[in-house]
Amino acid sequence: MSGDPGFWILQTLNALQLSMLLFLLSVGLTVIFGLMHFVNLAHGALYALGAYVAATFAGMAGYWVGFFAAPVAVALFGILLYWGLIQRMRKSGPMAQVLVTFGLIFALWDLTRIIWGDIAVGIETPALLSGRISLLGVDYPAYRLFVIFLGGVVFAALAVILGRTQIGAMIRAGVDNDDMAACLGINVEKLFFAVFCVGCALAGLAGAVAAPLLSVTPGMGLDILIPTLIVIVIGGLGSLQGAIAGSLIFGFVQTFGAVLAPQISSVLIYALLALVLITKPAGLFPAKGA
Amino acid sequence: MFHHTPLRYGTLVVLLACALYAAFAAGYFGLEILIEILVLAMLVIAIDIVAGFGGMVSLCHGALLGVGAYAYAMLAVKAGVAAPVAMVASVGITGLLAWIIGAVCARTHGIYFIMATLAFGQMAYSYIFETPIFGGDDGLGGIPRLDLSPVGLDMMDSRTFALFALGALILCYLFAVSILRSGLGRSLVGVMQSEQRMRALGLVTWRVKADVFGLSGLIAGLAGAISAQHILYISPSLLNWTVSGEALVVVILGGLGTLVGPLVGAAAFVLLKHNISEYTPYWHLVTGLILIAVVMSRANGIFGFIEARLSARSEAKSEKTSNAQSNTATETNNA
Amino acid sequence: MKHTTLTFSAAVLAAGLTAQSAQAQDQIDVGLLLPYSGVYAALGNDIQAGFELGLAAYGDEVEQTFNLHIEDTEVKPPVGLAKARKLVLQDDVDVMVGIVSSAVLGAVSDIVAQMEVPLIVANAGNDDATGAGCSPYITRLSFANGQINRPMGEWMAGQGIETVYTLAPDYAAGRQMIEAFTAGFTEAGGEVVGSQYTPFQQTTDFGPYLTEAKSSGADAVYVFYAGGEAISFVKQYDSFGLKAEMPLYGAGFLTSPLYVNAEGPAAVGVIAALHYVPTIENAENDAFVTAFQEKTGRQPSEFAVHGYDSARAIIEAVKTGATTRSEIAAALSKVSFDGPRGALSIDPATNNIIQPIYVYETVEAEGGEGLTQRIIAQLDAEQMPPNGCEMKPIN
Repeated sequence: MSGDPGFWILQTLNALQLSMLLFLLSVGLTVIFGLMHFVNLAHGALYALGAYVAATFAGMAGYWVGFFAAPVAVALFGILLYWGLIQRMRKSGPMAQVLVTFGLIFALWDLTRIIWGDIAVGIETPALLSGRISLLGVDYPAYRLFVIFLGGVVFAALAVILGRTQIGAMIRAGVDNDDMAACLGINVEKLFFAVFCVGCALAGLAGAVAAPLLSVTPGMGLDILIPTLIVIVIGGLGSLQGAIAGSLIFGFVQTFGAVLAPQISSVLIYALLALVLITKPAGLFPAKGA
Repeated sequence: MFHHTPLRYGTLVVLLACALYAAFAAGYFGLEILIEILVLAMLVIAIDIVAGFGGMVSLCHGALLGVGAYAYAMLAVKAGVAAPVAMVASVGITGLLAWIIGAVCARTHGIYFIMATLAFGQMAYSYIFETPIFGGDDGLGGIPRLDLSPVGLDMMDSRTFALFALGALILCYLFAVSILRSGLGRSLVGVMQSEQRMRALGLVTWRVKADVFGLSGLIAGLAGAISAQHILYISPSLLNWTVSGEALVVVILGGLGTLVGPLVGAAAFVLLKHNISEYTPYWHLVTGLILIAVVMSRANGIFGFIEARLSARSEAKSEKTSNAQSNTATETNNA
Repeated sequence: MKHTTLTFSAAVLAAGLTAQSAQAQDQIDVGLLLPYSGVYAALGNDIQAGFELGLAAYGDEVEQTFNLHIEDTEVKPPVGLAKARKLVLQDDVDVMVGIVSSAVLGAVSDIVAQMEVPLIVANAGNDDATGAGCSPYITRLSFANGQINRPMGEWMAGQGIETVYTLAPDYAAGRQMIEAFTAGFTEAGGEVVGSQYTPFQQTTDFGPYLTEAKSSGADAVYVFYAGGEAISFVKQYDSFGLKAEMPLYGAGFLTSPLYVNAEGPAAVGVIAALHYVPTIENAENDAFVTAFQEKTGRQPSEFAVHGYDSARAIIEAVKTGATTRSEIAAALSKVSFDGPRGALSIDPATNNIIQPIYVYETVEAEGGEGLTQRIIAQLDAEQMPPNGCEMKPIN
């Protein structure tokens, strides 16, 4: 630790990078929940699937092919899931949904083991982003800056779509009150379907983005599930602001906790979650209808 | 409100008979499996009380079981407390902790309640994992079993221990039934159905929730103390949230809010797991698919499904006779 | 990976066949206690593959046949214990082999001592297992955590490295590895200027720790990471460009053949110490590497060699005429042979293996295909101190 400003700039960038990775993952989950009141615990498994697809395609045709293939493949898989499971479970209670997706975690975990094996798969950072960039007087890995940038772009795009477009207005109406929205002539089912696919694609994207930073292992989906749930619960389910706020809180608490209070860093985030839930039982920025 | 139907009585008798048969007829590994089932059964009873009758879906009961196990081990091994005292104390400590968690989480509902309990469970997990006195990841060994030699019982014998665990489970079940039949249990069901109405009636709803959560914690703590004595060794993996997740799955598979169903679920789950893992290391896939299939069938678990089918049939019959007594009679026949 | 599954079922089949064809008195029942699901599944598969190769290579030297009982311990101590009880009490095995996680070893060691069944530890490195908690029935053919790191500390100090920053996951093995390294390094004149333990299996982003390591200004960084964490760590270390200014050293699991391909070029230049690498040059290792590659299409890892040498040790014990549990246990503590790792023997004071330690650098293979290990130094056979072990005689 030091009084060197470069140190704190680096740590801030580290925190931002972790936040943005979590944001990519949690935003899909939270919007699906906000609109459909559907808790998809298998979201982490979709992220793992995205990482594996990215690693496979990257091994054959280079990183960028994998980068674009992963969201598409996971969205396609999401469509299958929607038709096979989600649509039928729409009217069931949240308990049943949690359980079906819990079963899905188990099934997908072993499926990835059967297809890709137990040995971790690697994926290289693309040549374009493998170096470091000087920024504010510090050298920072270009790929990590790319993750921060990508998270920012996705946030901005979603903010514009949700806030300024007709589709966004329809989605917001659906989140507020889906029955009323249906009465107003919005095809809520179609909207759900589209949002679910986009959410899955974002999970796949997060997997592709995380793969070069981490190891791609069968358990990665389960490992990331709890952090993602913490993010959306702290932020408040169903809202874009909640997802970004929760991600930033998680990223900064985790990073600076590791630096300033390493002894209690792993308890810190759970303590914060408990604190938020006690003082604001619905999270910091809950969606209105949720 | 919990009540025993003839079907439930019948199932209990069958389960008890099977457990007794297994305790006397099973080989060594069979006894291991039996004890594993009995411990899991205690845990699912604890969960079913809060989740099935109070709507409080808890992801911290695995951690509570772990707390009970660690409390027993620390007292018996490190503090040198006599085993019976350590057992009572560990059950009490777990109950107190559960009461506090229940009181703190009582304001939250639905998914937020699940997450809040998860947070407390994971806090306990991380704390025990990282505090050296608890032995860290390598765990704690040398745990003594209750010494019943004065009454002529050798607890190191697997069969005796299995019967001891069975006795504890029966005790837990009777305790659970008496909670649910008490005024507290009735209030709890009322709170689950409409918290606002109960509050309007002057009930302090958070107290009801916390009290039941604490009582359920006693059961989880006992399960933990017995689990520690069974394995003679504990490690932090006992407290991980996946233990709670699995137990919750068992409760749902068996039939939420039926108390008897989760017992069936516990037996089915452990047997299934051991049988499938004999043939394939991919047993998660099979259990996952079974879970999906059961939930998709829209029944309240295996037991709930049977209950619903039977009551539908008996209702159809009782309409013909429109006689309440024949209603029970047909149910008895069916059971 | 599909073929690993196939070999697994083939092994079960083969075990079944030998069971039918062998006479009971000429048959040694071996229980394999390994994880086939959970995070250590890859290790379990490698150990089993190595064990089967060991039986195939040396099994002809004795008349007895070996009947395998394979049990999945997952990574759960209660499961491991239940499976151990099954092997001992129900399947009546003569010897058990396996145990990847030290927590599972802790759970199993009591029953091993009580029931007096020999257990060959084929991975778990907890120093206490052959220290304060030693038993005449537990023989370790893998390594002790301190065994690898202490000589590496001395060696690094001898290379002129004066200051080091250490990192490891916050659990027993991580602490033992780093403590042994620190002891060796400081006794030889080096100084550890900073150290940090990262939350075990919860850390995905090592950025904060790497930034701290960098600001410590140490000459080098010494770490212990294994499995998925090793891959993430090595890649992130490289991406921060730290390798050029602070060379990365570690316990050799960091760049094990099992993970090095997933790490890719990021692993190049990492210097680590381990008791086995596939590029050791001796006749036994050549035969082992060839056989392992034929079977799996991969380079053998240190885990595979644990299995291979465990099989060899059982055969060596049986060769002395040992067939019962206590005879095998007694014979195992006297085993010594030249294996793929070089000359091995068992320390009768602790029943831990005495073996050379290799310092190796991960380099690009000639011809540019993949990565390989260049051995820089072979350190003397390392014998662990008793660490409080009072070996009891076998009854």
